Amino acid sequence: MPQSAAITVEKLSKTYQVSEREGGFSAAVRSFFKRTYRDVRAVDTVSFQIEPSEVVGFLGPNGAGKTTTLKMLSGLLHPTGGQARVLGYTPWELKREYLSSMTLVMGQRNRLSWDIPAADSFLLNQAIYRLPDADFKRTLAELDELLDLKEIIKKPVRNLSLGERMKCELAAGLLHRPKVLFLDEPTIGLDITAQVRIREFLKEYNRRSGATILLTSHYMADVTALCERVIIIHQGKLKYDGGLNDLARKIAPFKLIGVRLGDSAAHDLSRYGKPAQADEESEMSFIEVRADQVTLVTARLLADLPVHDITITDPPIESVIEQAFNG
Amino acid sequence: MLKIYQRLWQVTWAEQWQYRANTLMYLLYWLVSPVVYLSVWTTIARSQGSVSGLTANDFVIYYMTLLIIDQLTSDITIYNFASKVQDGTLSNDLIRPIHPMLTTTLVNNMAFKVLTLLALLPVWGVLWFLFQPDFTGVTWQGILLVIPAVVLGFLINFLLNAALTCVAFWTTRIWALHEFFMALGTLFSGQFVPLTLMPPLIQSIARFLPFQLTKYFLIELILGRLSPSDIVQGYLMGVFWLVVSLLLFRWAWRNGVKKFSAVGA
Repeated sequence: MPQSAAITVEKLSKTYQVSEREGGFSAAVRSFFKRTYRDVRAVDTVSFQIEPSEVVGFLGPNGAGKTTTLKMLSGLLHPTGGQARVLGYTPWELKREYLSSMTLVMGQRNRLSWDIPAADSFLLNQAIYRLPDADFKRTLAELDELLDLKEIIKKPVRNLSLGERMKCELAAGLLHRPKVLFLDEPTIGLDITAQVRIREFLKEYNRRSGATILLTSHYMADVTALCERVIIIHQGKLKYDGGLNDLARKIAPFKLIGVRLGDSAAHDLSRYGKPAQADEESEMSFIEVRADQVTLVTARLLADLPVHDITITDPPIESVIEQAFNG
Repeated sequence: MLKIYQRLWQVTWAEQWQYRANTLMYLLYWLVSPVVYLSVWTTIARSQGSVSGLTANDFVIYYMTLLIIDQLTSDITIYNFASKVQDGTLSNDLIRPIHPMLTTTLVNNMAFKVLTLLALLPVWGVLWFLFQPDFTGVTWQGILLVIPAVVLGFLINFLLNAALTCVAFWTTRIWALHEFFMALGTLFSGQFVPLTLMPPLIQSIARFLPFQLTKYFLIELILGRLSPSDIVQGYLMGVFWLVVSLLLFRWAWRNGVKKFSAVGA
């Protein structure tokens, strides 16, 4: 394998042993004496390679094996098969040099202590990663410029909003200028403004530092804003590895048109496109329409029907992937 | 490395300070039994003149010294660490380039100690006022001699508890095991009564166990009740148990982390 790649993954597999039993008292007693295990292949012979300073979106529905893969690549999990090299290290050996040159930021997990201001945690990180004062100050100033941290890092973390906390988590994960970033749902739960902010930050950070970024997200906007390349896994297997544009063209060359009609029962929307899920709350009915026909269909809809409201959106990422591999 | 501990101290102290009321409650709870033993034994000793040769004052200074020694060698690793293994937050610590237990947990112990010792001072003052103890057996040599022994006792206690906490990597419920370990400690460390009041069998077993190195040995040493050969024997025992607990901890940690990363959290 060529040494130039930042991340090389070869036939990586992870099988979990899950103990299982039926409900009820007698089953509980039986399982006390004899446990039955079931193998769950969370990641199944996945191979890919990522070059330095690439930003790659790692996609798949819930339970596809994304987080498991990220955990293996950051060293938290031992694989049950295959190989991985990141920056020339085998991650799960947890070598100090490796841990000092990568970061794992998980949107749903806090690394910062709740009880103290982030600034104090940053100082601790400075010591842990042995950062010289000058470097530390320079990086912090840069992160402050990009994320506007000055005020928020003085408050105890428990008093921060979700968006503010995520900014601090990202900053804490980047103080040591890691060469590889594993980001698991970095924008989850954030409002649109904060999402955009984090996205812009990541883009700029990648441009400035040349760091390699592998990120998972449920927000298509994250992926389209940041990644030219996506890797898709589904039920532990690699399903797609290539350009984002090709993906949309190949897999989901359609958009969703949603309409709210004056008298919805009377009209058959299937004449205009494949009916998709309706949104009860906004009383919107959706149809799937090929991307190149959106204008045409929209015009027809507006002309034919008593349209009160109309919206055109990209299909949600989950359904793109579902569509690709199940449909 | 020193800087890591310094910064860790600042952070941990600030965290502990936030929970000072909680610490105080813990201290009050923990104070109950030694103070009760102290009162009971001194009352008995007063009414009988002495108990197995121990006078009322002997009991007073024993338990008053125990209060301090117990804090100095106490260990809260399991409270600090076991939950991290169980809920998976240990992941955050594992991907930092420092050993989580030998840094964060160790410093956490220290901060807790300092806080509880501060809170203990007024209690000690009140006991002094109530019982008017006679500490004439305590010498400067005794104090100097006991300092390394306290460090040794704490390290042994810390490493043994750390090893025990590592059991959490295999089984998620470790509190029963912890209780059992604590019970052994109460029996063999001199926490309950001075070991001389225990049956000879218990005394001779206790001599070879690590528990008395964290309490009884230190109390007797500081009170000037040990012969030079007792002191040498205690120290040798201390070094032996330090090595054993270090090996135990290393084994448990390595294999535990391997287990953790096999199962995932």
